[in-house]
Amino acid sequence: MEEILFGIGISALAGALATVAGAAEDTESDIGSQGDPNSQVQLAPQMGYVHRIYNKAISGEPPAYGLWVALAAGIAWALMAIQYNAILALIIGSAVAVFVQGVYATTAYLGRTASLAKFEQPVYIDILKSVTTVTMAHAFVAVFTTVTMCFLIIEALGHPFPLPLMGLVWGIALGAAGSATGNPFYGKERQYQNYPFGAGLPISASGDIVRYAEAGQRSSLDNGWFTSKGAGPASGICFGLIVFFELWRTILFEPFAAGWGAVIAGAVIIIVFMVIDRMVETWARKTYGPYTTAEAVTEEEATA
Amino acid sequence: MTVKIEASEGGMDHNVMLGIGLVGALVCIYLVYLNTLMSTEVFAFFGGLAAIIALWWGTDSIKNLCSYGLGTGVPSAGMIALGSGVVAMLFATKLAGISPLLVPVGCVVVAAILGAILGFISDKVLNMNIPVMTRMIAELTVVGSLTTLGFTAMVAGTFSFGDLITGATSVFGVEIASYASSVIGGCVLATIFMLGAIAIQHPFNACLGPNESWDRTQMCAIECGALSMIVIAIMSLAFLSLPAVVISFVISIILWGWSYSELIKLSKRDAFAWLDSQPIREVGGEQ
Amino acid sequence: MSALGGGSAGGEGINPAASVIALVIVLASVGIAYVVYPAALIPLIGVIVGGVLISFGVHFVPVGGAPAAMGQAPGIATGVAMLAAGGGLAGLFGGAWAAEMGIWVALGAGAMGGGLLMAITCLMVNVVYVYAMGIPAASGKVDKDPITGDTYEGYRSQGTEGHGLPFISYVGGVIGGILAGAGGTLIYLELLSVYQEALPSFLGMTPEGMQTLAVSLAGIFAVGMFLVAAVLTAYNITGTIEGPHDPKFKRWPRAVIGSSAACAACGLVAILLVVI
Repeated sequence: MEEILFGIGISALAGALATVAGAAEDTESDIGSQGDPNSQVQLAPQMGYVHRIYNKAISGEPPAYGLWVALAAGIAWALMAIQYNAILALIIGSAVAVFVQGVYATTAYLGRTASLAKFEQPVYIDILKSVTTVTMAHAFVAVFTTVTMCFLIIEALGHPFPLPLMGLVWGIALGAAGSATGNPFYGKERQYQNYPFGAGLPISASGDIVRYAEAGQRSSLDNGWFTSKGAGPASGICFGLIVFFELWRTILFEPFAAGWGAVIAGAVIIIVFMVIDRMVETWARKTYGPYTTAEAVTEEEATA
Repeated sequence: MTVKIEASEGGMDHNVMLGIGLVGALVCIYLVYLNTLMSTEVFAFFGGLAAIIALWWGTDSIKNLCSYGLGTGVPSAGMIALGSGVVAMLFATKLAGISPLLVPVGCVVVAAILGAILGFISDKVLNMNIPVMTRMIAELTVVGSLTTLGFTAMVAGTFSFGDLITGATSVFGVEIASYASSVIGGCVLATIFMLGAIAIQHPFNACLGPNESWDRTQMCAIECGALSMIVIAIMSLAFLSLPAVVISFVISIILWGWSYSELIKLSKRDAFAWLDSQPIREVGGEQ
Repeated sequence: MSALGGGSAGGEGINPAASVIALVIVLASVGIAYVVYPAALIPLIGVIVGGVLISFGVHFVPVGGAPAAMGQAPGIATGVAMLAAGGGLAGLFGGAWAAEMGIWVALGAGAMGGGLLMAITCLMVNVVYVYAMGIPAASGKVDKDPITGDTYEGYRSQGTEGHGLPFISYVGGVIGGILAGAGGTLIYLELLSVYQEALPSFLGMTPEGMQTLAVSLAGIFAVGMFLVAAVLTAYNITGTIEGPHDPKFKRWPRAVIGSSAACAACGLVAILLVVI
């Protein structure tokens, strides 16, 4: 019993760490403009919209976070192997990983922006100085919490994977959850803030991103300010739920039915989420209704 | 709406780069073997140099491949290269049981076979119909395996399987041999894998665009490799003696500092303008 | 995955000659394994089946790529290979944890791990679309949801190909996560069994010491092969797919053939590691 309680406590702690990680990860990627919405930052100058937005084209978030977390885990593992204190090792590992992240971010901005010279997009050095440090700070929060979570899962819950492999697995999962949840909010709601709410962006409008702020010019830091109120927490909840339920179902139900308990619990949780999703979907259909009413459609058909 | 991928013309001929990359990386990996011959660890850094040379070559391969438009991002090519490269590389380290000198050559041969199969599958079975695909995927797999082999040699000071699976932990000052604290047992390979997977795709992914230039992209490749070397040097603290680690670390820092400043100079050269705290320059003059 | 979509080069249809060669590669690998190290025959077949599961599973995952990030196309706004890797590796995590409970339980745990990640991620995608952006889900490829019967004609906003995750895509995502999780776990378990059996005798190690070694080796090989199979499948669907109702879904046979050959070759090399 006590062992199970301990396990549940660790699951809750790991879930909490994952929630922080998810929120920080998404905010970091939105400030730096990483992942799919970055295609618009890249496209804008070609359409004649020169901007002052960061262009952190390192790769998609899943491989990038796979590297940062695996790197932090690898260095922490190496330092622990020479008898460093575990917490110190995790912090040094995360710090080195964030240094690497910062360097990659600057080379991505310089590289992509310099290659856009044909469209008269200048390199703004002040962006490099002000935004890189902020993304590094958010990345540190995301990387440190994730690698701590991996350490807890191994040391307290006894998972067989070594720390670097665990870091790779959860780093990629973190990037997948954060990019999937956070990208549309940054891509549509923030980059195309001046387009109507409640509708997707017309394909013809691609590239016309918002470049001016209430006063002055939009900086990438404002994007973090905006997305940390919507997509950031949502990504945090997403990754937190994933980690918590993954651990919780195993610890609580694995003793039942020779291990099948955890599998059945997983299936039940999946079905519950599926039902919630269906409710969300029908709520949206009922509340928002179709974009064109049925009469309009039939009229159109009649004229056609 | 997608961005057209344009690869720069000019630069060095790809076949020449292949030759330099292959021979250079192999020579550097063989130089790591000096560690065994002279029973020292200070030559570990040659592994990192091998990885840089391999990445320098692989960047051009990825550029050739991705200029055709794969339908998915540049990073995926890095993933498939390292995913199969690490399989070939681990197999090759086992050849050390026959002769340690077989390892680097065996690594290239096995990776080339695997890569050719993967390239054939993507080109013909999946109907991608990209003329250079088979060759480039094969090259990328070789690059991936040489990169992981180089970094592994750098972190451990050796590339034979027997040495990679044994480590030593000291408990209260007493050295105890343990598999768990070895390069493979601790799965430091996972970190090396991701370092290589990002470093191989980043230079072209970061520099692509209409004004991409050959020397800037290649300098970025050297920079990525040197940056990875720095962290590999830190990780080698767990396996190598302090002087060897310091030598690796200092060499990587110098190499990285040089390549990073060169990269900034080249970016300055290619950029449309280099502005500090300036407003948006309206091209269309709408505002 | 990144700013690049590029032109999609993938043609339709199956190339018969190439497919036969791919199947020959599979058979040759199995034959070599049988001749060189008969005990590895079943594990190699397991690895191939794992690759097939991954590549078939990835076809179910609704991935919209860059357009999905602007609400221009339905699906999840990230790269297909990487999203599947997220789900599959989360499954690998669960499967590896349950490895000592027997292969079937571990496979189930791996499948549920992948399915759980996709179920939660897809739910949060819809939550963000509906509650944060006020956009209902609509498919671009079909007018009527094959499962729920919802019609989508009026629900696509102007100038887009649909947005969000319709229920069929949600179900596809969960199925994809389950299959990819099971596939990754299967590769891991089969390789683990080979190494656990062979390493002590071939290398003269104590079984206790080599457990962590076998886990690491099997783990890194499973990750590598997973990524190979997932990227090959991403090439097959040229970046984006809406789910099982998408016309591109019909391309799955050639990805399954390709991935089985790729996993056979990689798996053979991974198994031969213990022989030489």
